[in-house]
Amino acid sequence: MSEGTIVLNETIHQSTRLRIMTLLVSRSESDRVAYPFIQRTLDLTGGNLTIHLRKLVDAGYVSTAKEFVDSKPRTWVEATPEGRRAFGEYLGNLERALDVTFR
Amino acid sequence: MRNPDSEEQRITEEQGWASIYATLDRSRSSMYMAGWSSIMLLWGAIVAVGYVSMYAVGTWAPDFAAEYPWYPGPLWLGLGVPGMIGSSIIGHRAGKRNASGPSATAAGLRVFGFWMAVVAAAFVIPAASGLWTSDLDPVGIAGTGVGIIALGYVLFGILHHPAIALVGVGIAVAFYLPAHFAGDVAPVLSAALIVAVVAVAWAWTRKSAVA
Repeated sequence: MSEGTIVLNETIHQSTRLRIMTLLVSRSESDRVAYPFIQRTLDLTGGNLTIHLRKLVDAGYVSTAKEFVDSKPRTWVEATPEGRRAFGEYLGNLERALDVTFR
Repeated sequence: MRNPDSEEQRITEEQGWASIYATLDRSRSSMYMAGWSSIMLLWGAIVAVGYVSMYAVGTWAPDFAAEYPWYPGPLWLGLGVPGMIGSSIIGHRAGKRNASGPSATAAGLRVFGFWMAVVAAAFVIPAASGLWTSDLDPVGIAGTGVGIIALGYVLFGILHHPAIALVGVGIAVAFYLPAHFAGDVAPVLSAALIVAVVAVAWAWTRKSAVA
């Protein structure tokens, strides 16, 4: 690898996981998002979402919790502080890779 | 099991950048549309009840209509207030099912503020333009209000989903065409058409899982 090559986080830089992370990180730190909301918003199948969430959970970027809302079980998903940090770093690298400037 | 990192899932930097922006847009709109299909159905029913009531008063109680020509005001206010309360409850519950935390609350408050402004305009603009005073035309008052509500749907749809804008156009057409061409039965025809418009939109949103 040549010096100065920008390496993008492979866990995040993937079509579905990038969208999941964007959706989660775009909310406040204390926000949690319901599993069906992610599925519907990103137009994913349940199986596809589960597979990618598992990868993000394994990386420590996302955490899930089950709770009852209106007597119905609901899975909540949120970005962990580690996930937010990794996403921020990924964004910085992506900007540099694309030579994006906001000036 | 399918490999989640298969070739077709790989993206370029440009695609990644575009995907982030698209997801931000979609995510925000999804939050704002929480409970939209049920709220739309509720308002379809409210508007239908309002029109049918106006038709009933004009047909079976013309003396009452002549003595109290301003009756559409209290009638629509009486229907609109429960509608606003009902919409708030539906939106709040739907939002709570989607997400919890300050972002979800802020989205709910923004949507509430938007529709409160639209509904208030539907009452205030006819008042400011003198429609509530002498030589009242109940159809004119209702038409102004419906036009403003339809505009609300169109503006909300432009911001969040084209289907909502189409519902706004449908509501306007369902009111204005019968009002001009259907004579005395216009309110009933408008009520039926508006219920049809929101029912079709409701069925479509449930099928396509938009809201």
